[in-house]
Amino acid sequence: MASVNTVLGPVDAGRLGVTLVRESLMYVLPGAQYAYDIRIDRADVFDLLAVKLTEFKAAGGGAIVDAAGMFEGRDLRLYEALARATGVHIVASTGQGPEAMLGGYFLTPQTNPPTPWPAERFADLFGREVIEGMVVPRFERRAAAGLIATAVTVDGMKPTDGSLVRGAARAGAATGVPVFISCGSDAVAELELAAGEGMRAERVAVGDLDRRDAADSGWPAQIARMGATVVIDHVGSADPRYLNDAERIALIVELINDGHVARILLSSSATGVSYGVPGNDVPYSKLLTSFVPMLRNAGVADACVQQMLVSNPAALLSVGGQSQ
Amino acid sequence: MTRVNTVLGTISAAELGFVAIHEHIGYGMPGCELDSKWWKSPEQRYEETVPKLRKFHEYAKPYGAATFVDATGICNGRDVDYYKSLSAKTGVHIVASTGFVGGDTALPFFERASVDYLARQFIHEVSVGIGDSGAKAGIIKVGVSRGFRMKELDKRIYRAAARASKVTGAPIFTHLAVDCEPALTIFDEEGLPVKRVLFGHADDGVSQGKVNEKAILGKGGRIGFDTFGYDLELPDPPFWGRHRSERLKHFLGFLNHGLVGQVLASADANCSPLGWPGVKGHTVNYLFERLIPDLRDAGIDEATIEQIFVRNAAEFLTLQPISS
Repeated sequence: MASVNTVLGPVDAGRLGVTLVRESLMYVLPGAQYAYDIRIDRADVFDLLAVKLTEFKAAGGGAIVDAAGMFEGRDLRLYEALARATGVHIVASTGQGPEAMLGGYFLTPQTNPPTPWPAERFADLFGREVIEGMVVPRFERRAAAGLIATAVTVDGMKPTDGSLVRGAARAGAATGVPVFISCGSDAVAELELAAGEGMRAERVAVGDLDRRDAADSGWPAQIARMGATVVIDHVGSADPRYLNDAERIALIVELINDGHVARILLSSSATGVSYGVPGNDVPYSKLLTSFVPMLRNAGVADACVQQMLVSNPAALLSVGGQSQ
Repeated sequence: MTRVNTVLGTISAAELGFVAIHEHIGYGMPGCELDSKWWKSPEQRYEETVPKLRKFHEYAKPYGAATFVDATGICNGRDVDYYKSLSAKTGVHIVASTGFVGGDTALPFFERASVDYLARQFIHEVSVGIGDSGAKAGIIKVGVSRGFRMKELDKRIYRAAARASKVTGAPIFTHLAVDCEPALTIFDEEGLPVKRVLFGHADDGVSQGKVNEKAILGKGGRIGFDTFGYDLELPDPPFWGRHRSERLKHFLGFLNHGLVGQVLASADANCSPLGWPGVKGHTVNYLFERLIPDLRDAGIDEATIEQIFVRNAAEFLTLQPISS
């Protein structure tokens, strides 16, 4: 059986159990770590996250993917300690995006003119986080990244968004680790951009597809037909920009009825703890305790629920994608 | 009574001695910490840095002491605890910055912040301290983003700096003296005397023809000849380099026209750069090894040299709150 890169090292994909592929453990809006009025108390953060992960496990959860990438709060040593303490498998991600989240090193480098980074440099940066290990900045590398996560600006693709998607796809194709794209203003074109870099569609997960504009545009079904994974990733959210849970269930039922159950993943985009910006304070366990019963009430078979929550994520996260 | 904030505490301006007004222990663009190509071990960092500071301390002995103003902004690898250890072990006074080198070095948290919040950030770092280091910033850094035009975020930072300067009395350092008109307008509107502002890098190669020296001088502002040593005669000069004789002639023009009170000089060297290769062989000690001999050769007397590096600097760095 293929293995998945977790923060504690490779784990057989069959051991993950119920897996949420788009969550965030500690979220830090870049720069917030330097704010005069923000104190990040590591002991408090640990306790808070440990409680949430333990609840998730008690509800039947097995693995959490921190899909926030390499620059928005990722703290590998904290995540390793949490994985050890709670028994929840934690997969951390490399990648960055969208453009507005990047540091000046990538956008206005000390060259004349200050040309932003091209795709090949992002491919190298992300690829090394898989091959050599994820960075603790200026210090050391730890375990291999299990996902390459990027995002496109919701209002429309910025030049460096394109380089990020292409770089992530190249790194994914080279290393066998899946790519996650939080979609912008044209999910189909964004997936095609990744595919153009030699990344097989089935190794790409497209997220934010339960955003209203995404659902209204019919992107979820189109993405599924193209062979990529549709991530319905705002379960439990009350954010008006996203479908509510009833609408979300209708979308999932439609996709299943169209034969796409193997292409669906569910997640909640929760932030365990958030600094610098209000978090999405949904418990990781809520998907299992509230949403799954709603799916069953809507007539979704247990086997389909299991597939979306267990075997689909295991297949996606398997390095090289051999598992199923 | 004069007060200057150094990383080891507040001291009298009379203790500063010889001041290198614009230097860097180590500067890197935000995000460069993710790229392991630039990483150095702590052993290497100290090895590259300590001898330069010790030499600077030795050179400055005739002036009583050596002061190194570190103009590294909040998101550029500023590391105040490290500066404290360097200062304690080498005897060099180190003055740290609050503020940003330019809008394009302010990470998303600060990019989204209001003028009021940014002002509170700067005031806190000057009057209470930076993070939990206990060290207070002694200057406020602002700057023009790449492209030689002030962007909206640059202007927001200048306005916040003006307010913070009035409250705390800390002087303002600009990165680049180009496009000074909007800056002068902001300082005017905020009621900050422009003598509290050093318009930096007015001497670099790429800014020539773009600096309205007359406008800055007319308002009482100070002109920074603070990239001494980035000479085009170097084997691999940076893009902002300039012919050594041309820069010297430019500077002598000011000294010989009664403007010595409005200039400050420095080398803008990195002891150990963080996210770029740096310029080999260029150190703060250029001031003693090349510049001062060049000035003497040009007939500049010791009193003038002392005025630039001791009295002007002390006057400028002295905290001067303005009650409104």
